[in-house]
Amino acid sequence: MLPGLAVLAFSLVIPLGFSVYFSLTDSAGFGDYQSVGLDNYREIFTDDPVFWRSLRNVVLLIVVTIFVQNPIAFVLAAVLSRLSARASRLLRTAYFVPAVLSLVIVAKLWVDVFNPRFGVLDKLLRAVGLDAIAVSWLSDPRTAIAAVIWIIVWQGFGWALLFYYAALMTVPRELEDAAWVDGATGLALYRHVIIPYLAPVIAAVIVNDVITSMKQMELVYLTTAGGPGQLTQFLANYLYQKAFVAGEYGYGNALSVVFVAVSLVLTAVAVRGARVVAP
Amino acid sequence: MTQRAWQTRRIGTRVLHAVLVVFAATQLFPLAWVFVYSLQRSGDLFAGDLLRVPSDPQWNNYARAWVDGHVVRYGLNSLIVVVAATAASTALSFCMGYAIARMRWRLKRAAIAMIVVGMVVPIHATLLPNFLWYSRLGLIDTRLGLILPYVAFTLSFNTLIYAGHLRNLPVALEEAARLDGASWPRILWTIVAPLATPATVTVAVITFLTSWNEFIMANTYIASDELRTLPFSVIRFQGEYSGDYAAQFACMVIVAVPALVLYLWSSKHVMAGATAGAIKE
Repeated sequence: MLPGLAVLAFSLVIPLGFSVYFSLTDSAGFGDYQSVGLDNYREIFTDDPVFWRSLRNVVLLIVVTIFVQNPIAFVLAAVLSRLSARASRLLRTAYFVPAVLSLVIVAKLWVDVFNPRFGVLDKLLRAVGLDAIAVSWLSDPRTAIAAVIWIIVWQGFGWALLFYYAALMTVPRELEDAAWVDGATGLALYRHVIIPYLAPVIAAVIVNDVITSMKQMELVYLTTAGGPGQLTQFLANYLYQKAFVAGEYGYGNALSVVFVAVSLVLTAVAVRGARVVAP
Repeated sequence: MTQRAWQTRRIGTRVLHAVLVVFAATQLFPLAWVFVYSLQRSGDLFAGDLLRVPSDPQWNNYARAWVDGHVVRYGLNSLIVVVAATAASTALSFCMGYAIARMRWRLKRAAIAMIVVGMVVPIHATLLPNFLWYSRLGLIDTRLGLILPYVAFTLSFNTLIYAGHLRNLPVALEEAARLDGASWPRILWTIVAPLATPATVTVAVITFLTSWNEFIMANTYIASDELRTLPFSVIRFQGEYSGDYAAQFACMVIVAVPALVLYLWSSKHVMAGATAGAIKE
């Protein structure tokens, strides 16, 4: 027990303390630095449009995950749960494959798919005569954020499906049979019986969605690096760039502290919301 | 039900099945595309065809990917770091999971709170401070400097998986052993560990995959080429060899295959174990 906690403290708690300390300085990561009080925080909240843009993008990702990815995953899981064991296992394996790939591969893969010169997407669009919308998806300001969110949702899809499938497998047979006898079929069965029964699980998955959305960074770092013009910036990538590219280590740490606070607050909100929906 | 209702249902089912297949294709098509491109000549990529399996597959793309991507060196580094991290994380989380599931001790609530925070706080918030903290301790650019955070960031999830699993095991055996005078380590090793094997498989495979695929910490804490891990093989084709698209695709296949094989081999047990915790709570 103790060594485990020690490792956690060493790599998690102590660094967070460091972060708070450096967030109060103008450190560049090396050399001398001076205390600047709360200046960094003041700048973040009052004079940093990129911060707000990053926050908005994170919220957008959460919304898309919960209201687009999750419902699709749930419906597919429901259909899967009615297939033969073999067909269902085969398909589930297929859906989950992207989730076990390294983010480096996923990022590179989609950068290539979206590539305007040899990417498969634009080739496809041209083949069907839609040349007009065959754009450079990841660098066109109109499509960049949608493309980035698509990649993240695509990779996370397997997990969402897996959770819902496992949840659907826990619905007791008797419950379904009883509902059937009462005349509930098809959609009604889901709406009035299965979904209410699974409410706690759905709530847990949604909390997990919030946490996972906050943790997105590598895919942004490896595809657009926040561009074009910071349009696809996410908090985690922004603080990294500030500290290691722009050399504003103190400011980056202030962002980092705000980032942890936002993560904890959003998670708490999700947990609270989940309790309301599924007491 | 009337004949008509049955027919509508049948059509509905067909549509749903078609949707299933379309989504499966969306998940797999990009990978198939990468594989096909990995066998073409770099110049052919710019041709108009959508997806043409080349008549003369260019297997030497793989040879170039293997050499230029430093696959052997990076792969060995990955293996060392990942195996060490997996072993340490599994052993530690087993003990922690047991302590939480079975023992009563002071500060247990605080410890659980810390574990939960460990799941919520994104690793990215620790990248900056850890970079400085590790450089002071001389851990930057060492294997230990990767193993430690990999253990730390898999520990929370693993502990909860173990705790959930161990709670469902009968206590009787352990109590009997304790009455016979067996020591704690002995009980843990000879009685509890074998019973916890399903959880151990889940924890070990997931930790392995997570660390195997990890990129951003390796990118931050490792500077020298000798210590880089396998995902960097793909990155190499962005800089020095960026014109060699075909080899880059081949390299992506090489890096993906070990993770895919491990997943396909273990998927049945692991995925059930991984979701069990989330479903129960």
